[in-house]
Amino acid sequence: MGLDPIRYKPWIGQRTEHAKRFLVITDHVFRHKLRSKWLLGIIVLGSILVWVFPILIFSLSPHDSLTTEMMLETLQNDLLFIFVLIAASLVCADLISEDLRGNSLVLYLYRALRPERYLLGKVLGALLVMSLFTFIPPIALGIAVTATQTGPDYAASAEVIARTVLAAVLTTIFFVPMGMMLSSFTTKRTYAAVGIFMFFFTMTIVAGIFSESDINWQLLGPGNLLNYWYDVIFGETLPKGLSSAGIAIMTFLLLVPPLMVTYWRILSKGVGK
Amino acid sequence: MNDALMTGGQGDVDKGAEGNVTAKDVVMRYGNIMALDHLSMEIPTGIVGLLGPNGAGKSTFIKAVLGLVEPQGGTITVGGLDSRQNVLTIRDKVGYMPEHDCLVEVMTGVELVSYFGMISGMSKNDSIPRSHEVLDFVGIGEERYRPISSYSTGMKQRVKLAQAIVHDPNLLFLDEPTNGMDPLGREEMLDLIERIAAGHKSILVSSHILQDMERVCEHVIIINNGRAVAQGSLKNLLGAQEGRMKLVARGVPEDLAPFVKYLEREQRVISTSEEHGQVTVVLILRGPSGDIFAAAKNAGVQVRSLTADLSTLEEVFIRSV
Ligand SMILES: Nc1ncnc2c1ncn2[C@@H]1O[C@H](COP(=O)(O)OP(=O)(O)OP(=O)(O)O)[C@@H](O)[C@H]1O
Ligand SMILES: [Mg+2]
Repeated sequence: MGLDPIRYKPWIGQRTEHAKRFLVITDHVFRHKLRSKWLLGIIVLGSILVWVFPILIFSLSPHDSLTTEMMLETLQNDLLFIFVLIAASLVCADLISEDLRGNSLVLYLYRALRPERYLLGKVLGALLVMSLFTFIPPIALGIAVTATQTGPDYAASAEVIARTVLAAVLTTIFFVPMGMMLSSFTTKRTYAAVGIFMFFFTMTIVAGIFSESDINWQLLGPGNLLNYWYDVIFGETLPKGLSSAGIAIMTFLLLVPPLMVTYWRILSKGVGK
Repeated sequence: MNDALMTGGQGDVDKGAEGNVTAKDVVMRYGNIMALDHLSMEIPTGIVGLLGPNGAGKSTFIKAVLGLVEPQGGTITVGGLDSRQNVLTIRDKVGYMPEHDCLVEVMTGVELVSYFGMISGMSKNDSIPRSHEVLDFVGIGEERYRPISSYSTGMKQRVKLAQAIVHDPNLLFLDEPTNGMDPLGREEMLDLIERIAAGHKSILVSSHILQDMERVCEHVIIINNGRAVAQGSLKNLLGAQEGRMKLVARGVPEDLAPFVKYLEREQRVISTSEEHGQVTVVLILRGPSGDIFAAAKNAGVQVRSLTADLSTLEEVFIRSV
């Protein structure tokens, strides 16, 4: 019994820069998430239903160039909204809640890592995973359709691809801040996952009920909001009576305050027991 | 409060070493609870015990030094650097083993240790071999490849220690490191602490298990109600009362009784115990020890030994708090 009498050995080495250490967290989140079978299943299934069919159909059928209509038709598919929502729920659910449950937040924060860098590391990790479903496939769609086009107007296709990049970035970040916030409110990842999904789902239902009276109520629904953004990005006209300020405000509310609340939660929980 | 204890041992404080911590008038309130009440102390190099009853403010003090809580007043310096202005520099040199569970249960031991090594600034190529090295050191074997959720309390304590030393800090805070460990595990933990200290580290160990502290600490700080009530080297604290002696005498009961009466009258007796015709008396001498031998001779009692008696840490502790 007992320990082998091993001497304590010092470590001699070069430390990495303080400012770059959040990348360790990002890398860890990414690798960890790719080991989750549920998440991979959702991403694969979602990709087949949302992206693979349009890629095949649009690039195999004869076309002059990549058009705005092709992209909008693909992006404004309700299935995309549902799969992004499920993916975001699975990705974000345990990112903060797990560290609160096990009190491991203190192990991060006693090190030379500022709370905002901790949050940045986690958010970036989440975005990286989300982009597997929301960034890479739409760009792939754009490139595949452009590569198979029969017409000479590559500039037009390139412009659509550029707009697609914007739309893809927005889709990737859209649900993550709220997901992080709900994850920081609980110590149970299932509560967080269900909470994230239900939050956006409820908003959608509420938007549906009230939009009979005024079209601007639609903006409460995150799916509608995203679709209007796609219209804006691809230069389509918005429906009459829809407030652009409303779009801006709702988007701001979904993105900024949740991150601030998450940051505040990290500060107040970071002390540990 | 005991003035002799407060000043005891200040002379051997090793100033200027990298791990030294100084606290001046630190005030930390939680609402209207005064967790640290103008706490001042100086932590020298070596193994330092932070002793105090539950709620004394031990964990709060450690968190204040680490910058995890922000004290409302006072200053704390670590290795001469201000703990608020140089947070990041200090923290690269600090390891912390929290009191409560803090491990990521879904990770394996080796994943966790190397991960936190990287967050402390080690490259992946450094961190992985180093985490195996420290896990070997703390005595985690093949279990390191299993998720931490399957570990026993003792194993978790070891992994908690491993994550605290993976980046080779100069200053180590161990908050109740033997918590929940069996006697053998406790021994091993103390042994590990001693071996880490052999590499010129400052280690602050908080505990209320006095035997543990007595075994490993060179220096002790006793705090109560958020104040340092006694600090000094263990040797000084234990020997703090001059002239404290232990007397063992033998004789028939009829002779022993008047002798004990004499001692109680002429000396300051702290405790007396008697069994099988032998008394053991702890006392503080008031005059030359020759008087005692003379009195014993008169009473027909045989003095078997009269030796200096060191108080136990427990007594110092009870006297101080
Ligand atoms: N987060 C907190 N909020 C409110 N009060 C707190 C908090 N943390 C500690 N306290 C209070 O501060 C005081 C000191 O607590 P601390 O945990 O530092 O004691 P301790 O010496 O570590 O005790 P123990 O031996 O039980 O671990 C206690 O009265 C405690 O109730
Ligand atoms: Mg404590």
